[in-house]
Amino acid sequence: MKYAFSRKQLAIPYAIFLVLFVILPLLVVIFYAFTDGEGHVSFHNFLAFFASSKTVGTLLYSIVIAVTTTLICLLIAYPTAYVLAKTNIRSGDALLLLFVLPMWINFTLRITALKEILTLLEGNLAMHPFLNTIVGMVYDFLPFMILPLYNALVKLDDSYMEAAQDLGASRRHVFLKVVLPLSVPGIVSGVTMVLLPAMTNYVVLDMVYNSTYIMGSLIGSYFSSYDWHNGSVISIILLIIIGVSTLLSNRYTQGEENGRVGNLR
Amino acid sequence: MMNKALSLGMGALLCSSLFLAGCGDGGEEEIILRVANWEEYMDEGDWDETSAVEFSDGSVLCPENTLVEDFEDWFYETYGKKVRVEYSTFGTNEELYNQITIGDVYDLACPSEYMIMKMMTEHMLEPFSDEFHDRGTKENYYVNGVSPYIARVYDELSIEGESISKYAAGYMWGTLGIVYNPEEVTEEEASTWKLLTNEKFSRRITIKDSVRDAYFAGVSIYNYDTITEPAFLDQADYADEMFAKLNATDADTVNAVEDILSSIKRNVYSFETDSGKADMVTGKVIANQQWSGDAVYTIDQAEEDGVELCYSAPLESTNLWFDGWVMLKKGIEEDPEKKMAAEAFVNFLSMPENAVRNMDYIGYTSVISGGDSDKVLDYVNWCYEADPEEVPEEEMVEYDICYFFDREDAVITTSEDQTRRQLYAQYPPAEVMDRSVIMAYFNKEGNERINRMWTNVRCFDLRAWWEGLR
Repeated sequence: MKYAFSRKQLAIPYAIFLVLFVILPLLVVIFYAFTDGEGHVSFHNFLAFFASSKTVGTLLYSIVIAVTTTLICLLIAYPTAYVLAKTNIRSGDALLLLFVLPMWINFTLRITALKEILTLLEGNLAMHPFLNTIVGMVYDFLPFMILPLYNALVKLDDSYMEAAQDLGASRRHVFLKVVLPLSVPGIVSGVTMVLLPAMTNYVVLDMVYNSTYIMGSLIGSYFSSYDWHNGSVISIILLIIIGVSTLLSNRYTQGEENGRVGNLR
Repeated sequence: MMNKALSLGMGALLCSSLFLAGCGDGGEEEIILRVANWEEYMDEGDWDETSAVEFSDGSVLCPENTLVEDFEDWFYETYGKKVRVEYSTFGTNEELYNQITIGDVYDLACPSEYMIMKMMTEHMLEPFSDEFHDRGTKENYYVNGVSPYIARVYDELSIEGESISKYAAGYMWGTLGIVYNPEEVTEEEASTWKLLTNEKFSRRITIKDSVRDAYFAGVSIYNYDTITEPAFLDQADYADEMFAKLNATDADTVNAVEDILSSIKRNVYSFETDSGKADMVTGKVIANQQWSGDAVYTIDQAEEDGVELCYSAPLESTNLWFDGWVMLKKGIEEDPEKKMAAEAFVNFLSMPENAVRNMDYIGYTSVISGGDSDKVLDYVNWCYEADPEEVPEEEMVEYDICYFFDREDAVITTSEDQTRRQLYAQYPPAEVMDRSVIMAYFNKEGNERINRMWTNVRCFDLRAWWEGLR
């Protein structure tokens, strides 16, 4: 008898992976977040997090770091991606390669090199912990911002811009009314790829000698002192932030696709 | 109960090692010994001739195989049975403990003193057998070779009425102190933990990113005035008082230490885990908190780069720490052969030449003084004895470490700078050890208080930031 192979079965390996390494651990995390040491349901851990000025301080500090990193990445990446997308195809690819190439080199190695460069420039790294953190984060996450922006911009048909110019729009207006709105999906996916990892990427802080905790380091410190409950609480708080922002951005990109882009097509 | 079932479940899911452990038992009469040790904490052999150690009886130590391989051969020759060691490593005590609680099984592990105490209170450990403590057997290298000083420390440290020597056999020991660059920091400045709050060295010192090590420094600074007072130093039960003061976890002490550590955080270069050694050599930092064994390594490395560094165990108090071998009930499972092999492994590591191998490889100090054998003392002399042709006589000093070797000829004739450098770090003088304190395992309440304190120190301080703005 011949074995009937359906295409759906191709998804089985990932389904197993999903259940074992995403869903089950998530349930465990939720269990720990909402219980105390004795197994009773409890919201005490959540209340304690928001009652302490120190942990809330670290939440805000992480958000400030993440937002600053994202904005700077966006400011650097947008013009870069635009230039890359609008040069002729061959050299565009080569240039893109140049920007993505750093990702092929081990991150720890790159940040160690960055550390030495910053030390040369500043003398003593410990004097500017926030600045160094931002520099390290931007360095780490920039390719993740350039790629989606490039993908969005390269698809942009030049005829839209020409049409706008023909109809009398100034260069500023062409950018603001045509290019920018059409690249929103790229911006949104770039922002999601940078903003949330930047809240937890504590390796950067360790490497540039910033001794203040961000959310990621807080999770690590709770788990290493066997405090699975509080560690899980932080993970859940991050999860909520991630969930809400994904929801918002999805709504926004979908609205764009159905509205303006749909009409233009 | 729920908790345990869940963690076991998670362990089964996440740890492939469980499956591996299940497959290994297929062979014939082979004892399998699962050993967990610190990373880079056992000799891996393959020495080249330039690093060979020469003993006074003319024998030369230059091993080819790893200690683990040599143990397997030695065990077969001595007991006629095959043993296979499954060797794995861990990075911190907490990592080891977490591995064990989520289901990894080891027969023999090497945690630090406070973790041994924690495991004892949780009844995880198998006691060493009476045969192991029998001095009459030649193969019992541990009881016959351990330094009487360390043996006493093990006997006296107890928790819930049981001495830890019942469950643990020593491996390495040392102090917690400060590595400093003598060109920038004077010996006097480095002789106290207050160096960490000294604004003269603002942003040029690192402290360990570890709650217990940082707490020890903090609590020493907090108690500085009391514990350096002559009346306190001279009292009859000084050791007990000192232990109580530096192991205090009451709310007042912890709050005061939180303030001290917060000001240390503002003053230091960083809290570091592993960058401290390299940063000392490159000169990014001029002093750092360091365990004695890492201090030896750092000083050695810096020497190769032409930088002279020194080590100091602060005068008010230093933390005497040690790592010891313990057998885990879950691994041994009352199997007499396995228990015997585990004890033989500890004895093999305690053979004087093997203790020397480890010391030379990792830079830490073995608890083994050698008993009747001269090899360990020989090695110390081989390392540090000053050559009269190179060192002028006025720079020669007699360095007394009789307390450790428990013999009157344990006096090293060495150059004066070694009393501040590697020799001092490996074998601190008796007066340093008199002021040393073991940092015990804190009870649940104390632990929670200290961990909360640590989170507070490390989190972003909104209030201080706001006041800074205004």
